[in-house]
Amino acid sequence: MRILIIEDEAALRERVTAQLREQGYAVDSAADGRTGLYLGQEYPLDAAVVDLGLPDLSGIEVIRRWRAAGRKFPVLILTARGRWQDKVEGLEAGADDYLVKPFYTEELLARLRALIRRTGGWTQAVLRCGPIALDTGAQQITLSGQAVELTAYEYKLLEYLMLHAGTVISKTELTEHLYQEDEDRDSNVLEVLVGRLRRKLDPNRDLNPIETLRGRGYRFRLERTAG
Amino acid sequence: MNSLRGRLLIAASVVLAAFLGLTGLSLDRAFRDSALAAVEDRLQAQVYMLLGAVNVDAFNRLTLPQSLPEARFSTPDSGLYADVMDGQGTLIWHSPSLLGLALPFFPAVRNPGDTQFAPLEASDGTPLFVLAFTVSWEVARNQYQLYTFRVAETRQDFDDQVWSFRRGLWGWLLASTGVLLAAQGLILRWSLQPLRRVATEIKDIEAGRQDELSSGYPEELRPLTMNLNALLRQGRAHLERYRNALGDLAHSLKTPLAVARGALENDTDADELRRTLGEQVGRMNRTVDYQLQRAAAAGRIALSAPLPVAPLARKILDSLAKVYADRAPQLCAEIAATTVFYGDEGDLLEILGNLADNACKWCRRQVVVRVHPADHDGRMELVLEVEDDGPGIPTDQAPLLLNRGQRADPTVAGHGIGLAVVRDLVEEVYYGRLEIGRGVLGGARVRARLRFQANGG
Repeated sequence: MRILIIEDEAALRERVTAQLREQGYAVDSAADGRTGLYLGQEYPLDAAVVDLGLPDLSGIEVIRRWRAAGRKFPVLILTARGRWQDKVEGLEAGADDYLVKPFYTEELLARLRALIRRTGGWTQAVLRCGPIALDTGAQQITLSGQAVELTAYEYKLLEYLMLHAGTVISKTELTEHLYQEDEDRDSNVLEVLVGRLRRKLDPNRDLNPIETLRGRGYRFRLERTAG
Repeated sequence: MNSLRGRLLIAASVVLAAFLGLTGLSLDRAFRDSALAAVEDRLQAQVYMLLGAVNVDAFNRLTLPQSLPEARFSTPDSGLYADVMDGQGTLIWHSPSLLGLALPFFPAVRNPGDTQFAPLEASDGTPLFVLAFTVSWEVARNQYQLYTFRVAETRQDFDDQVWSFRRGLWGWLLASTGVLLAAQGLILRWSLQPLRRVATEIKDIEAGRQDELSSGYPEELRPLTMNLNALLRQGRAHLERYRNALGDLAHSLKTPLAVARGALENDTDADELRRTLGEQVGRMNRTVDYQLQRAAAAGRIALSAPLPVAPLARKILDSLAKVYADRAPQLCAEIAATTVFYGDEGDLLEILGNLADNACKWCRRQVVVRVHPADHDGRMELVLEVEDDGPGIPTDQAPLLLNRGQRADPTVAGHGIGLAVVRDLVEEVYYGRLEIGRGVLGGARVRARLRFQANGG
């Protein structure tokens, strides 16, 4: 998942960036509205966290311009003042949720996960497709009720595929959304990861949860069962 | 021209001067006309007198006696003259007063019965009024002869009369202009006195000698002074709230700071210290939030247009629909389009936002927001009601919830200061009441009654 953080307070921005990376997110960050606006318009984001009180271009204005340019990724606003007038203004401009400073990182993570889930069309914290269940909160996978051990990268890949279950996702899109800029983007790595996922999720070779569409990408083909 | 007094004075003076000037001119003209008519009448009378004195001699010629009833005809240079011409323009008689003088040429041939009157000059240049009257005289049986009788009077008397009238007229007009201008100045001074009083009182307020404008202003100024007072009161209330909030803030931050310092000074282990600091940071955060939101309340704003409530409630519900998209509660507003709120938009958003947010946290499926005006002992109130179909609030918990920073369920996200902020807004800023009860949906119903919800409150 690729997340953009626009926050002018360096300490807060760096802390949140570090914590999100720890959670396996690819994170871009900006210290001012103009850079943030540019990143949001150029990068394939899954969500953005925008502070309302930015030095040059206000957070509200950044969100408004993204929305005007047709950018649809979910936006979480951070506000120092808990007044409803600010919250309403932000949400009206196109934000999807708000968080009042100071906040607990767990709360920010939970809100972001919920926003990203919602964008994929899921309303529950646990994504279920056939016998496979992915708990976005605990980051755990079960196959017919049995826990499946995944590495961090395997989990990220499966989460992205399941969030967009039913849609074809190209390798480029996967790379863009799952990796930091500076990481190795060899597409063979993806193929190896998908192969490992298939072995872990489909040991008997009768489920075939991830199909490969030659030249187009991958699709998680199991029907969504809940949410 | 930046003074009202100056404007009024100049405008009124110009009008007054124009009015008196025109009055003077028309009176002058009327007097002249009537004096002239009097001269003509007088000369006509003299002509009739002459006609009465005429005799016809043996040769059928007109003669006039030596002594006429009007003595001035007989006195040379008396100022009253007469002569008679026959039909051919030949002078057949002139009064002895015309000694050495001649009346000016006057077209003599005319029709019988005609009168002509004109200001002319005598042969020596003396200005005269001349009246000529032509008669057809029966000098013998069936024999008629035309004669023109002319009477002239010097213009001196007339001019003297007109001049003395003018002197009187313009003298009086000027005197009354002066009196009227003075009266007008006094009237202006008296009428504008309340404005000067406002200015003085405002200076006193600026200097801190006075809190607000006194009463007893004329009707026209009362809206101004009353609104000014309302603004002043509002400003003071704001300042008061800020001061109290700052005082409370400083005071209530001291306790967690003291606890934190105590923890640092004692030899507590790292986990214990982290726990204590975490608790105190949370407490300070709630305190800051609560006090700042309290201070930010604007209150009833003087001179503000009433705000329609429905669009604002819509904004809140739309926002909450986004925030609670996972649970997708049914958010419903029952507000008439005509319902208005007298106060600050931010305050109303704060009250509705906090109440509806709480309701969304607790509801199972449904949240209803109702706003309607109500008459309470003759005072207009605005009743804001938010209810949900959740578990409701036990009666013994209600007063607890209204205390600052209290949270009924710490597991539900939120600061827990929402209700306390709403209570402060409702009770301290809008002098209303906040009631917690059970609604028709089965869950909690929070009802806020706001006072001063009518114009001019």
